[in-house]
Amino acid sequence: MNKFKKITLDGLIFQNPTFMLVLGTCPTLGLISSAFSSMGMGLTVVVILTLSNILISLLRKVIPDAVRIPCYIVIIATLVTFARIFLYKYVPDLYDSLGGFLSLIVVNCIILGRAEAFANKHTVVESAVDGIANGLGFTAALTIMGVICEFFGKGSLFGYQIMDFGVGMLAKPAGAFLVYGICIAVFVYIIDCFERTRRVKANKLARENLLKEAA
Amino acid sequence: MAAFIVVVLSAVLTNNFITAKTYGICPFLGVSKKTSSAAGMGVAVTLVMVLATLVTYPIYTYVMVPLKIEFLEIIFFIFIIASLVQMLEAIIRKISPSLYNSMGVYLPLITTNCAVLGVTELFTNATMNGDKLDLGSLSQVISGVSESISMNLGWAVLYSLFAGLGFTLVMIIMSGMREKLNYYKTPKALAGFPIAMVTACFICMAFTVFSYISL
Amino acid sequence: MTAKQFFKSNVFKCIAALLCVLLVCGVFLTLMNALMYVSPEEETDRAINKIYGQSVKKEKLAVANYFGNADIEEAYHILDDGNYLIRSKGKNGYEGGTVTCWIVVLVKSGKISGIGKIAITGNEKQSYIDRVSDKALNQFGQIYTEGIYYSPDLITNATVTGTKTAICNAVNGAIYFVNAQPGITGGTVNIYENFLYTGNIETNLTKHEVLYDEEKNVTGVKYTVVTSGYAHATSMTLEILVGTDKKITSITHVKGGGTNDDYINKALKNIPMFVGKGVDELLNFYNGGFEYPGEGKSDLLQTGASESTYTLFNAALFAAGNYDNCIALEEGGEENE
Repeated sequence: MNKFKKITLDGLIFQNPTFMLVLGTCPTLGLISSAFSSMGMGLTVVVILTLSNILISLLRKVIPDAVRIPCYIVIIATLVTFARIFLYKYVPDLYDSLGGFLSLIVVNCIILGRAEAFANKHTVVESAVDGIANGLGFTAALTIMGVICEFFGKGSLFGYQIMDFGVGMLAKPAGAFLVYGICIAVFVYIIDCFERTRRVKANKLARENLLKEAA
Repeated sequence: MAAFIVVVLSAVLTNNFITAKTYGICPFLGVSKKTSSAAGMGVAVTLVMVLATLVTYPIYTYVMVPLKIEFLEIIFFIFIIASLVQMLEAIIRKISPSLYNSMGVYLPLITTNCAVLGVTELFTNATMNGDKLDLGSLSQVISGVSESISMNLGWAVLYSLFAGLGFTLVMIIMSGMREKLNYYKTPKALAGFPIAMVTACFICMAFTVFSYISL
Repeated sequence: MTAKQFFKSNVFKCIAALLCVLLVCGVFLTLMNALMYVSPEEETDRAINKIYGQSVKKEKLAVANYFGNADIEEAYHILDDGNYLIRSKGKNGYEGGTVTCWIVVLVKSGKISGIGKIAITGNEKQSYIDRVSDKALNQFGQIYTEGIYYSPDLITNATVTGTKTAICNAVNGAIYFVNAQPGITGGTVNIYENFLYTGNIETNLTKHEVLYDEEKNVTGVKYTVVTSGYAHATSMTLEILVGTDKKITSITHVKGGGTNDDYINKALKNIPMFVGKGVDELLNFYNGGFEYPGEGKSDLLQTGASESTYTLFNAALFAAGNYDNCIALEEGGEENE
């Protein structure tokens, strides 16, 4: 069980694809001006990433090593095309707000990255958990930044006008860059502090044990 | 002539791939530490963008639309781009090793670049929207001109060429700024990606000025 | 390499795996595409629901093209709540351009009760359309009263007069259209509906009065004509007197008409040319035509403010041409004369 906990925590926090690895930056920067579209993009990626991880993990013994990258790309492209058809039919609002970035999920480094780094070496269940964890990490990061950008940029949240005020820059790519940069810095700083306290605690424990042994 | 100027201004300045559309951010952040590598990457992206447009646009209009298989465009395009990049790399390595060293080494990174897939998708979207090229804010200033631009291969290639040059321009500006940043000490949390994104924010803000162009 | 070796080799395995993946994916997508096909009807339906804000049952109405200065392009009667959704193209915007917008006309117990929502979908030549904010569009609903005729002065939340004119025309056209629908009562009756030369006249703001002498004989008609803006020339209000000979006796400028006083004064210099002229002579100004021929194309009129002069011409033509109509209206109204 500890194994799954590690996979989940890695995907959500310690190896968070958006803040720690800085992958999939194009859709992030393009969509965080609106909380709805950034969250929609995140959830779409969760589904595609989980499915692609499962499929690739299933096929990892069948696909020869030499053609694995083209095969992964075909599988991912199929899933993205399917997502496009599905969203256009059932969730046209989201389809419109994602715009060109929906089909660009296919070149999102997170998906191919997880396929290459994780799914082709692990079992189906582990890959599925990894896909969900990484996808949710991506979604959480995008939603947080989407909320910040939309609130300060347009004075609204998920499309509901809260106040009549807005820093226009934050709803544009310039503001997206700024918010993304600052969010990474804050996230890295928090993780850093967290690790430091953990290390200090571990050192203390070790010293006490040593003292106890000496005594 | 007026149409030509509008397309060029739109592709290079107002609808710049990085500052307005946020396409191709991975190389923008990853390969912009040195001016020489930024320029090499920019030229490689421009070359692949033009070639990809040259190949995908006719295939889309004369093969996929008549056969009614537009929904397979993502798979087709990503395959075409991947094989183009492979071929180009092999050819350049054979013909000129010095050119390969300055530019060709960036080619394998381009397959999963949003800018290339993004530009080809842009034209298929234009085909769907009644053959009109989306010129963004400029089209309002000169509505008469944008109406006269109906999509064809010539405009598509021209647009992708100048979009690529616009990409190169921003890459070079960014690398210049990052080279200067090396002389200063940045806080630990801000070092690396965060400070690069804040820098990018200023470039984007500078580029918003161009949306006020009126001819 | 023999055939057998080839089939056992790694190359064959690679090709086979890739082809299999491609084939399966292609078949899957083709299936899904057929299964989730979105028909064109569904697409228009969806677009309309998006504009209206909710999914509704509706009935498409036949449209007639001419409603004042607007073309009604598409119209729907929403069956759920009785409202109307209309796509209207308002004319006479900045530089003679147009604005197309969707308009929700609210209906309560057989009467128009307000303007619900206006969504601009397109325009011609309106480079400052961005300056018409949602705030300005919401103002249409806020200031609605029965029988209102929207003019650009009423919309104070935006400053672009030309574009506002076009939007007002579109909304007014939509109101006319709904009032003409069966089951809708009230609304303004346009008494100038059957008059001639109303193309560039704001018929809802224009008034007239038949003049009599002491023995109740008709001596003439006094018009207060309000013209539409034409290109750079803004709306102009004029007082025009027409005598019993159906010729213009005098023209007095009340307000409006040009981008600055200079242009208006240039246009007003032409007034003596109009006095004493009837319809036929007026039409001679533009070589027998009614359409605006372009800058400096009139042989008889002074140029320099030709667009303002053209609106002046329209007003004069309307006044002189409708003398009989005014008298007929007066006689029809008072039977005991």
